[in-house]
Amino acid sequence: MKLTEHTKIRKEKFGAVVFETLTEKVFVADAVGAEILELITQRKTLPEILARLTDNYEADRQVIERDVAEFIEQLRSSKIMCS
Amino acid sequence: MGIVAQDRKPSRPAETASEGEPQAGFGGASFEDYDSPLFFAWQINSACNLGCLHCCEEAGHSLPDEMTRDQALSLCRQIVGMKIPYVAISGGEPMLCPHLFDVCEVIRGNSISLKIETNGEFIDESVARRLAGLKLRSVQISLDGATAQAHERLRVAGNWEKAVAACNNLLRHGVNTEIVFVPTQFNIHEIGELIDLAYSIGVYGVYTGKTMRIGRAAKNWDIICPSEQQYGRFFDVLQAKAARYEGKMKVYYYPYDVVEELKYRLQCPAASLLVVPNGNAKLIGPLPFVCGNLKVQSLDQVWDNYKKAWRNPRVIEFTEQVIADPRLLARSNDWIEI
Repeated sequence: MKLTEHTKIRKEKFGAVVFETLTEKVFVADAVGAEILELITQRKTLPEILARLTDNYEADRQVIERDVAEFIEQLRSSKIMCS
Repeated sequence: MGIVAQDRKPSRPAETASEGEPQAGFGGASFEDYDSPLFFAWQINSACNLGCLHCCEEAGHSLPDEMTRDQALSLCRQIVGMKIPYVAISGGEPMLCPHLFDVCEVIRGNSISLKIETNGEFIDESVARRLAGLKLRSVQISLDGATAQAHERLRVAGNWEKAVAACNNLLRHGVNTEIVFVPTQFNIHEIGELIDLAYSIGVYGVYTGKTMRIGRAAKNWDIICPSEQQYGRFFDVLQAKAARYEGKMKVYYYPYDVVEELKYRLQCPAASLLVVPNGNAKLIGPLPFVCGNLKVQSLDQVWDNYKKAWRNPRVIEFTEQVIADPRLLARSNDWIEI
């Protein structure tokens, strides 16, 4: 998984702001989204991201998998992630 | 668990694609929640080789108190330190700024997205090669017509062929190149041809919208402002061209005028700063208010001032007066410290 060339991510009090500077679109993510974005920038794979979140949160693994899949789909459809 | 990623109002709606989308109410998305700007618009100099009838900055000659090279580089380091993700440099004509490349190298050396807005008249092969080395987000060229006649009538002393050549030079060197078009009553009919020309030479996108009644445009309003009928046809053409080039070239147009923009910004100020050549930070281009000076104050302090200034009753009252009487926009460059 990789973010597009012109995407910039900045940590904020509320989570993170994602700025796709080529299309000039801005998104905000909450704290969990910010954690996933950071893992993506570290080039972690999807199983590695799921493992980290499962360790860090009490939620059911199936719920985590569903939420992460939805989040990543949002990133793809918004053209923030290119692969 | 719940993970939220929400499309938000962009930092600079005149050049963004998500205008009109609903504003979800959710924490952490107001400009006041950001520790630093998301976007930094920097008019680096006032010198310009042209005398455009619509120039919002009323550029021409250098101002005596412009930021020096050292001050500009100090500001760059603060931009880096505050993790501002995106900078746009304009002028005047930025290619006339002797320390432009020094500034660009600091910004790009720290992986900040950078756009340069220029009239293109100084971008020959060697300059295009140098710009390519910076791996910019883009270079934006002002091209105000599909013909030299229209372009040069608006851009007094301008040269349409040089502007087109600049696009070609940049594209040959792999620089992401954009065109911006300012509609007036005497060039507005050329928008369709201009978009076709842009596509034929391979630019990334064409940007346009209603002309802002500020700066020199306000003074020349009677001779440049298109009629409502002209604007109607203009937006019809833009809609058709956007559909035709969808997926091939970006055709972006902002349908609102400056008054509508101010109404919106009064409620939702942008997480951005606009800095003019002497270091003054303006609240927004169409208003005269200045919230600090980056020659004598830190960027951090100026950003704090900016956030407070938008809640200042004097700013709110004047903005409401401008909305009621757009002729007051002519005072946008008569700076008022707030």
